[in-house]
Amino acid sequence: MKTMKVTLQVNNEKVDLQVRPYETLLETLRDRLDLTGAKEACGMGACGACTVVVNGVPLRSCLVLTPEVDGAEITTVEGLKKDKKLHPLQEAFMEKGAVQCGFCTSGMLMTAKALLDRNKKPTKKEIVRTISSNICRCTGYKKIIEAVEAAAKR
Amino acid sequence: MILPRFEYKKVQSIASAIALYKKHKGKVRYLAGGTDLVPLLKLRLATPAVVIDLKGIEELKTISRHGGWLAIGANVTLFDLKNDPAVKEYFPALYESLDATSCETLQMRGTIGGNILQDVRCLQYNKSMEWRTARGFCFKMGGKTCNVVPNAKTCFANYCSDNAPALITLSAKARLSGPGGERTIKLEKIFNGAGRRPFALEAGEILTRILIPLKKTKGAYEKLRVRDSMDYPLVGVAVSVADGKVRACVGGIGPEPRVYDLKSANDGAVNEAADKAYTDARPASNTVLSAAYRKKMVPVLLKRAVKKVMQGGK
Repeated sequence: MKTMKVTLQVNNEKVDLQVRPYETLLETLRDRLDLTGAKEACGMGACGACTVVVNGVPLRSCLVLTPEVDGAEITTVEGLKKDKKLHPLQEAFMEKGAVQCGFCTSGMLMTAKALLDRNKKPTKKEIVRTISSNICRCTGYKKIIEAVEAAAKR
Repeated sequence: MILPRFEYKKVQSIASAIALYKKHKGKVRYLAGGTDLVPLLKLRLATPAVVIDLKGIEELKTISRHGGWLAIGANVTLFDLKNDPAVKEYFPALYESLDATSCETLQMRGTIGGNILQDVRCLQYNKSMEWRTARGFCFKMGGKTCNVVPNAKTCFANYCSDNAPALITLSAKARLSGPGGERTIKLEKIFNGAGRRPFALEAGEILTRILIPLKKTKGAYEKLRVRDSMDYPLVGVAVSVADGKVRACVGGIGPEPRVYDLKSANDGAVNEAADKAYTDARPASNTVLSAAYRKKMVPVLLKRAVKKVMQGGK
């Protein structure tokens, strides 16, 4: 089957790609661009481990076809740090010990980043609500919530 | 999970979507947010030759008021709709059902049109091709049996939209465009009660708009689920009160939502409707909770929702 040409702006870098029409954004990021921060867990949109930010909106990249986001601006966990300095969320996750096995962490970070970008001072309730989009099967939610609260204060 | 092969086409207008539908002789699926369709594709439960992306159609993205109606474009996301001031002010049942739908991230992707037209679900149906082949195909997969209820003559899959029951209590209408032209029908008329093919839509029809009479209502939505996030409703009951008329709608059990017009909000009328809803509910053991428990929860949630509306004064 014919491939399609798409142009993506991934972590502030323009990339031109030839992709399959039935290729998910997660496959493109991981297999073509070697950005393996976004993880595949359920593959059905239930867990949030594959969350990336597309045009400011957190998206489950396992449910998005790459041609759907042609021309979009995409931020993955690899693009969170600026000038070799970690994002406040990443700092806070480290300080609060909000990482257990680490598999959900990149998705958690991206969901939290999208929240802080649209709401500078979220309440604890809002943070809990937003973070409930992602599953942490180590059940380490408390420290994740604390970390997002701490990052919002910076 | 790997997707099957298909072609991808993005369209800018309803007319070109319908033209593509005709060109490919119906072997297409329309794509909006994809939160329902992409998993179905991955499980090989949908096998179109072409996926037509409707997200480029501008007119489907707007919410507007005209002539006493709120017209909601089918591609408005659940999150944007929830945050629309008119919904919060006029339609509390819809606000609550939108808020209870899945989780925030999926609300930002899923659309109201896609939420209404999501396929019915069953523990024995939403499985991989290998799993289903080993088990044997049921009615909904084109087989001759139900894998949940022995000797059943029909499909017991559940319709799991939170928002359709709420919209039905608000007397919403659906605007459809298809190869045969445009039509507007009551929202409850898009269901045909058959789990195998739950929607009474013509071939190639697209849901373009939801129309709700723009008047103040009181309302509530009660949902039974295991987790407070992400889960589909195991039972969902919406109640709206407009001009003193009480309307309830039960979803999550069986392939179509059921509507109850109550004579009033007094105890007698509410109990009568709750009893009827209990009798009508025919759950099967095809979700994570037992059928008996879900059936018992139908009248409980209906009474709870009415009580919340009457006491909360929302």
